[in-house]
Amino acid sequence: MKCQECADKLDRFVDRELTNTEALEVQLHLEGCPDCMEHYEFQEHLKRLVKHSCDCDVAPVAFREKLRQILS
Amino acid sequence: MAEPAAETAFADEALTHLDTLYRGALRLTHDPDAAQDLVQEAYLRALRYQHSYQQGTNMKAWLFAIMRNLFWDRFKGARKEDVSLDDVGDFVLFEKLRDEGARPESDVLDKIAASEVVAAVDKLPPLHREVVLLVDVEGFSYKDAAQALGVPIGTVMSRLHRARQQLQKSLFEYAVESGIVRPGGPTQVSQA
Repeated sequence: MKCQECADKLDRFVDRELTNTEALEVQLHLEGCPDCMEHYEFQEHLKRLVKHSCDCDVAPVAFREKLRQILS
Repeated sequence: MAEPAAETAFADEALTHLDTLYRGALRLTHDPDAAQDLVQEAYLRALRYQHSYQQGTNMKAWLFAIMRNLFWDRFKGARKEDVSLDDVGDFVLFEKLRDEGARPESDVLDKIAASEVVAAVDKLPPLHREVVLLVDVEGFSYKDAAQALGVPIGTVMSRLHRARQQLQKSLFEYAVESGIVRPGGPTQVSQA
C-alpha cells in the first residue's frame, strides 16, 4: 500500500468502516510508516477531542421526568 | 393502537436515547428551550408513529431522523441546499501544523479548550454539523447515520470529510489567533 492510498482510507479506518481485509492492509502500512502512523494518531486524537468536547451535555433531569410523564 | 404495556415499553426504550437527541437538538438549535421543544415534539411524534418503527432496527437512528426532520420542517424553514458547506479545499490540519513546524502535532490538540471545539462544531452549517454529531460524537456507523439523515452512505462520507476539513481549518485559525501555534515561529508548540 502506498501512502496516498493509506491517506484516502484514513477517515474510514478511524471510523472503523473498512472491511477486515482493508483495515489489516492499512494497519500493516501504518506499522511500517512512521509518517502515516503520526497522521493516523492525530486523526484519532482529533476525533476523540470532538467527542469529548461535545458529549458533555445531557438532558436536564426535570425535562426527562416531564417527558416520562407525557409519554406514559 | 398499541397496547398500554407495549406503549410504555416503547416509551421506556425511546427515553434511553434522550441524551443523544437532546445533544443533537442543542447543537442544531443553539438554544436549550428550543432544543427541549424540538425533542418533546419528536418523542410525541415517535409515540404516534411507533407502528412504523421496525423492531430490531436502530431506534436511536429512527428517533434522530424524526427529530432532525422536525428541525428542518419547523425550526429552520430554510431549504437544505441553501446551507451547505462551501468547499474549503483540501485543508489538512496535521500537514498545516507540520508546515508551521509545530511538533509534535498532537500537542496542539491538547491545548485547544473543549469550548473552542464546540464553537467550531457550532459554526458548521447544520447539514454538516449533524453528520459530525452522529458519527464523531454519538458513534453512529455510516450506515446508521445515512438512515438517520435519509441520504446515501456516500453522502455521509462526503459531508463528513468536508465538515472535518472545515473543523480543522477553524481549529487551526483559533490555534494561531490564541498563540498556541506561531506561524513561521519556533518549532515547539507554545506552552500557553
